[in-house]
Amino acid sequence: MEAFIGGTISLFGDPTSLMLFFFGLIGGMLFGAIPGVNMLTLGAVLLPFTITMNPENAVMLFSVIYCAGVFGGAITAILFNIPGAPENAPTCFDGYPMTQKGQSGKAIGAAVICSAAGGLASVILMMTSTGIIAGWAIRAFGPPEIFALIFFGLAVSASVGAKTLWKGWLSVMIGLLLATVGTDPVGGIRRFNEGSFLGLDYSSYYLSAGIHFIPLILGFFAVSEVLTQAINIATGTRERPKAGLEFPTIAEFWQVRYTMIRSTLIGFFAGVLPGIGATLGAFLSYTQALRWSKNRKNFGKGELEGVVASETANNAATGAAMIPLLALGLPGGALTAMIMGIFQIHGMEPGPLIFINSSELVWITFAAMFWANLMIIVLGWVQTKTVVHILRVPFRWLAPGILVLAIVGAYALRNLFVDVWVMFLAGIAGYFLRSTGYSAAGVVLGLILGAIGESAFATSAQLLDYSILNFLSRPIAATLFILGVLTIVTSVINELRGADQPKALID
Amino acid sequence: MMISKCRFAGLVATAALVAGGAFAQEAQMETPQGFGKRPLTMIVPFGAGGGSDQLARAMAQSMNEVAGLNFQIVTRPGGGGVAAIPDFMLAPADGHTILQHIDLIVAAYAKGDIQENPAEDWAPLCTTQITFNQLYIAGDEDRFSDWESMVAYMEESGEQLTVANLGQVGSMEQITMDMMEDAVGLEFRKVAYDNPSERYGSLIGGHADVLFEQPGDVRNFIESGQMKPIVTFYEERPEVFADVPTHRDLGADFDAMLRFRGFYVKGGTPQDRVDFLVEACERGFNTESYQAFNADNYMDLIDSFRDQEGTRQLINDTVATYQAIYEEMGILE
Repeated sequence: MEAFIGGTISLFGDPTSLMLFFFGLIGGMLFGAIPGVNMLTLGAVLLPFTITMNPENAVMLFSVIYCAGVFGGAITAILFNIPGAPENAPTCFDGYPMTQKGQSGKAIGAAVICSAAGGLASVILMMTSTGIIAGWAIRAFGPPEIFALIFFGLAVSASVGAKTLWKGWLSVMIGLLLATVGTDPVGGIRRFNEGSFLGLDYSSYYLSAGIHFIPLILGFFAVSEVLTQAINIATGTRERPKAGLEFPTIAEFWQVRYTMIRSTLIGFFAGVLPGIGATLGAFLSYTQALRWSKNRKNFGKGELEGVVASETANNAATGAAMIPLLALGLPGGALTAMIMGIFQIHGMEPGPLIFINSSELVWITFAAMFWANLMIIVLGWVQTKTVVHILRVPFRWLAPGILVLAIVGAYALRNLFVDVWVMFLAGIAGYFLRSTGYSAAGVVLGLILGAIGESAFATSAQLLDYSILNFLSRPIAATLFILGVLTIVTSVINELRGADQPKALID
Repeated sequence: MMISKCRFAGLVATAALVAGGAFAQEAQMETPQGFGKRPLTMIVPFGAGGGSDQLARAMAQSMNEVAGLNFQIVTRPGGGGVAAIPDFMLAPADGHTILQHIDLIVAAYAKGDIQENPAEDWAPLCTTQITFNQLYIAGDEDRFSDWESMVAYMEESGEQLTVANLGQVGSMEQITMDMMEDAVGLEFRKVAYDNPSERYGSLIGGHADVLFEQPGDVRNFIESGQMKPIVTFYEERPEVFADVPTHRDLGADFDAMLRFRGFYVKGGTPQDRVDFLVEACERGFNTESYQAFNADNYMDLIDSFRDQEGTRQLINDTVATYQAIYEEMGILE
């Protein structure tokens, strides 16, 4: 506690630190919100300048950018169905339907409070038990456990947003199939790089690079939404969503308290584990919220709990990602690798000794992340009262803006125009998926979990002598597998019995 | 006084950014027309935080110093370094996309896993790191403490130990381990991890028993005592690792292969841009900051620099070496 107060005083007592703190906060939020650029872009631009800063300020600045950047993308996800960054993608699933129902204020309010709450909880966990958690997580979770965790997540993803369970599973399977396009993650075997389709031979580097999920997400959500709305306008059935200004009530937060706690834990562990991070944390937390919710049928149609799950978890991952970096010297993602770079530029080595050798730096960073998460509430509240008014702009003027943002986002990924075409194809496919009762969210879940799952599976297979049964010899993995199978079986039985049908008919 | 000056510089720099002004460094080299106006992309074929990633960031820094170039670093792990190739080949041949790659891709070409010959189909810029390999055990390992006690443990317990390394059949890691296995008549379980944080975490977390790595990449783990080298694959003991036996000390008889890391642009890139980048690469290598980086990472123990021609030579020699080994091992059809 004394160390935390000390860190806070150093942070706010020095004008340079204070200025950098607010610069990181606002910069991270802006870069997080605009598709096509993200906090990594900002980080890359700023990295050379950290040489002239002292290491405390440099690390502090990057950790603040991290917290704010992960939150920033939620706003565009909720208002326009465009996730500012991949870790905000599950926020679209329910955030945007809420906007359509005139509850944009509620959705953004929930995102603001939950990002802050998830972030704060993870910073507090980080401050109290960094060393212990890092050591435990890295021992308990190897590739087999990560694969089991993904399987467990996939087991429920069929219930997101589809009309029937079967259509839900088909959507997830399409996603898993798309995830197999591209170079095999372990053996390096190129897949779909050449072949023939309808009698035409093709050879393509694009397919062996894999279908990236960013153009797909932009297509499925942003482009297909523009199409849907355009058709509604043409047929005269469109109602403009009201710009809802009201915040969620305390009672509403109380109802989702378990989801918040669960999502914090999921996000936190996703952040601690190398190679998992905020994106998977948000997706897994969303699928778990779905599993335990009483309003399961409502997910994907504007359920507050969905926004809560995704936004709590992705911010909870930020504090957690600092743990393996500081305690073990293991950066789990690109932004933490940049922070690692800052340490190296200044001739410092993160690792078990950093808490002793550079405790001032550690505590300034902890304090900055704590206050940054708290500041999200203030900035977010201001945003809620102002940004939602964009919805008053007529859609015919808004639509080109949304498309321009989506095109920029898809192109900027790797400066390839093909990605833009893929986005438009996905947009058209997304329109038909949605109008026929399939789930675009299910496809995206399949694609993202599939890609990481394949890599974890292939590594596990090598570790476990290529025997599926060996998975069951590891207690954590076995438990997750059994729970996953039970989930699938019960959902199938429920669907066959038609247990939820009367309710669905009323809807 | 010194500190406040530094802080002031930081303030000015930040202010310039806030104002949206491009903060272009004064270029000491003549940049080809129309080049370097936007940030270059540097593709790293492995995950964040590993040796390749550290090198890319250090090189981006020093090429910025000497040529005013700005870089965006993209990590693209997977398939033992092969998954990044399609991304590289998709980019236009305008010099704005640089691939950082290592000997693994040369082995992949020698084996026929990729069609692109790094020496001919791409334009090498330079090689800036050449280093030897080591085997590591976790600092808190209590079953054995060196190679010999580890071998004794394996023979006694009958347990097959796991080596975390990267690459596929025929990679430097796998071949070296095969030859070590032949020397002691034991077999290890070899697990490929393309993501360095997972690879290092697997040793520290006890999912793997041994790690195959280069000392510079895991220097901080060695210094903090989280990892301990037990074998050096090199013809002599480097002074800093004087008490670690080489493979020859342990009775293995083969020429140790070296890891090398260099930079490439696509074939067909305009010659003036290639020449410019080749020069920027060499000047970057010679900057004080890069030299310090290499020295910090034990990359000064072997002469680490090859220019464009030297890199081509290195690649062609390596292809010949690997093909001979593959024929002997029966990997090559």
